[in-house]
Amino acid sequence: MKKREERLILGKGQYADDLEFFNMAHLVFVGSPHAHARIVSIDIEKALALPGVITVITGKEVAAHTRPLPVQANFTSKGWTWRLADVYAIPADKVRWHGEPVAAVVAEDEETARRAADLVVVTYEILPVAGDVLTALEPGAPKVYDDWEDNKQVHLLFDFGDPDKAFDMADQVLPVTNREGRITGLPIEPRGCVGVYDTKNDSLEMWGSFQTPFLSRHNISATLGVPEAKVKINAVDIGGAFGLKIHAWKENVVALASKLTGRPVKWMEPHRDFVATGPHQRDVFWDGKIAFKNDGTLLGLKAKVFHDLGVESTNKGIAALSIFPACSSPTNMYKWVGMHVEGIGTVTNKSFYCAYRGYGKDKGIKFIEAAINQVAKKLHMTPEAIRLKNFIQPHEFPYHQINNYVLDSGDYPAVLNKAMEMADLEGLRKRKKELAAQGRHLGIGLVTAIEPAGVAVPNCQMGGITEARVLITPDGSVEVHSDRTEIGQGAEISHATIVADILGMDPAMIHVKRVTSDFIGQGPLSSRGAVYPASAVAKAAKLLRQKVVHCAASLMKIPADQVVLEKGFIYSADAPDKKISYAQFAEKVFFFPGPRGLDPEMLKAHDHLLDVTTTWYSPTTPESGSAYTSFCVSADIAVVEVDIETGVTQIVKYVHVHDAGTIINAQVVDGQIHGGIVQGIGEALYEGLNYDENGQLMNTSFSNYLIPTSVEAPDIEIAHLETPSPFSETGAKGMGEAPIIGSKAVILDAIEDALSDFGIRVNDAPATPEKVRKWIKKATAQNLETS
Amino acid sequence: MKMPLTFVLNNQQTTLEIDARQTLLEVLRNQGGMTSVHRSCEEGECGACTVLLNDEPVNACLVLAASVQGAAVITSEGLVKNGKPHPLMKAFTDELGIQCGFCTPGMLMNAYALINRAGEVLLTDQIIRKTLEGNLCRCTGYVNIIKSVQTAQKAKLAGDWW
Repeated sequence: MKKREERLILGKGQYADDLEFFNMAHLVFVGSPHAHARIVSIDIEKALALPGVITVITGKEVAAHTRPLPVQANFTSKGWTWRLADVYAIPADKVRWHGEPVAAVVAEDEETARRAADLVVVTYEILPVAGDVLTALEPGAPKVYDDWEDNKQVHLLFDFGDPDKAFDMADQVLPVTNREGRITGLPIEPRGCVGVYDTKNDSLEMWGSFQTPFLSRHNISATLGVPEAKVKINAVDIGGAFGLKIHAWKENVVALASKLTGRPVKWMEPHRDFVATGPHQRDVFWDGKIAFKNDGTLLGLKAKVFHDLGVESTNKGIAALSIFPACSSPTNMYKWVGMHVEGIGTVTNKSFYCAYRGYGKDKGIKFIEAAINQVAKKLHMTPEAIRLKNFIQPHEFPYHQINNYVLDSGDYPAVLNKAMEMADLEGLRKRKKELAAQGRHLGIGLVTAIEPAGVAVPNCQMGGITEARVLITPDGSVEVHSDRTEIGQGAEISHATIVADILGMDPAMIHVKRVTSDFIGQGPLSSRGAVYPASAVAKAAKLLRQKVVHCAASLMKIPADQVVLEKGFIYSADAPDKKISYAQFAEKVFFFPGPRGLDPEMLKAHDHLLDVTTTWYSPTTPESGSAYTSFCVSADIAVVEVDIETGVTQIVKYVHVHDAGTIINAQVVDGQIHGGIVQGIGEALYEGLNYDENGQLMNTSFSNYLIPTSVEAPDIEIAHLETPSPFSETGAKGMGEAPIIGSKAVILDAIEDALSDFGIRVNDAPATPEKVRKWIKKATAQNLETS
Repeated sequence: MKMPLTFVLNNQQTTLEIDARQTLLEVLRNQGGMTSVHRSCEEGECGACTVLLNDEPVNACLVLAASVQGAAVITSEGLVKNGKPHPLMKAFTDELGIQCGFCTPGMLMNAYALINRAGEVLLTDQIIRKTLEGNLCRCTGYVNIIKSVQTAQKAKLAGDWW
């Protein structure tokens, strides 16, 4: 039962680029060639003169007809630094990053719009660039926002437990640093949409690659000044999202263009623009120290993490918020006495910061895992021994972590032990020694992680609100509505399976509907899918089941506790032969509800509508403040061979053991694991956005921003444990991010192990061959000096 | 400059009016209605627009449409017979070698050519990986794609193929 997959495989997908509307015009953005410059003048005459050009929209029109982009997260009330920028989708005064749109051309066809875009003449006064995250904070650095004191957008301070006590108790303290390069999630499909402004009703409807239609509606409507009730956003088939299609800002200009021209307007982003003007992530530097006892007991952490947010991260994106999980997640799955973590976010002249698989959780866990492996080395312990010593134990759940996370369930030692057994860790270590004797460098990496999943944070658009609706139609087929867009993560299969199981139906009868802004919720982000929307859908289906049972008892004149729903049929437990199909049942309930059908009392009680809309909210978040509800568990063991002559790395073996609670669909879960691991490998080994000193982005294509191909991707061995979550409606835990968290950490750990002869600390991703060579050369020179 | 283009599209003799500067990708999507041919990088790097040109996989974005005069072009729509999915497509669905589905049609065409070329020779992981190197996928980590291709080859060797 894979309705969507069967449709897509037949070539019947309808992605943003496939949308066609009568009388549709096309929009193309004109991007700035400079990273930081004042806009002196824009001459659009030549562009307008090209036959087929309808209009050209510049920052002046955008300022005249729209409001600034709304703020998506605001934490000023907490007394931390949290600066906001007043920005429009197209600026009128100055450009702040290479590629920032300065105009949008609307023409009869895309080719004409592209040609006209080249004819827009912009005169710039070039300004000095704030390009580096650390120098951008120095006094006198060029300012990205003229009205700010400096370039610091965010500074958050967290004290978890008792950090000073942790350091007082410590036998040893070890300094640890870590750097992750700037990357982008890069789905193969860029962003695109069609906006249709109805001038008769003053309403707007849009179709496109919207990961979170409900939030996009809020932001587009706020910008355009049209009431939300008159705006509808529809998600179409989406060619991958990973967080990068959450919010809307260029889309606002498409809506404006439709309003100004009275025509349907389509925008399909060129892939290079998706890289240059799309969401960026990571780009952090950690500077910290970890406190521990000589027996390997972990005690505490004091750390600062510096984020390069690019232009800003509260209007176009919402990833300034990702500094929270980055600072909170180093607790990972261990017991601690205390932590003090500071998160600093700086604006620079680069593209904006938004969500990508991991959303900061990856950063904190990767950092602490590397730190713990350093501690193990210092104490001559194995990486597994130090973990097994510090894990939260199976009998301690639910566990209130020092950072307020309420860890739901799990068997952390079992997950690690299973991975060690599958990988044959002892055998691998023997093999490493054998190869070392031949002058070869094999490294074994070991990392364990939890995945905080299903986010709800107050004071921002990620508040956790969710709505789901399940209804039976008169022919007995079922509609399922929720905010969980299908972005390739198996939302449709999962929801169909959940509802079919609860209603006793064949999944073929369940129709999971395309997501629109009509249904409230944040959509599938931060692994919410299996937590919030799936719980809301399951809850709606359970309530609907009660109604079905009630109506069937009345119709069939049998006791409610005897009603059986199975394989699309309804019958009494003591008379399985006298069954009616859901179609027969629904027709009666809908069209013949009178005295010969349902009990009149049911009608008077208004209890016969086979349609349930409901909501779901975490049982732990309100009391504890835990931003997440479920915590999936994983252990990764990777074996990497490094060619020290060339710096080339090769993944020889990859083992991943996973516990995401109850599994709704095993194929979907495995698919998420495979994809996440390979994305993490991309981050660890290849991916990096490189800006030069003038703020020019040097790599905007697949030929120089390298994502793993089928050749680099390894074989992946997976095993599952299933410890149900007591807090979700189905027992499932949110998943899909753990694989990227574990893999990007474990690959670097394995490389470090392979280079242990050189004493190299691998703490700067991506570990490209040239970087590995540089480390080896430097270490060799240093070792020569000391000897 | 407008010009007629006559070629065999998915086994049908087809004449379309094209602009001489258009790529095969643009013509297949815009005039030919073959929307399974996906547009992404437009520079031959991602493989999402892979089609067969005289049985050889090509990136349609790099082929000038005018140059396919008289040639045979097959898109993934052309693999469907009487509305039924090709066994290769069925293998991708069964093994879940598809997630977001955007790279899938291009992946299918490259895999189709590979399986046809292979004949009786069983396709190893390594050969499949090497052949599909030019078809980027960001969702699946390629694992289930490799499996799908192997399952499809088994179907072909069992006589279930067209």
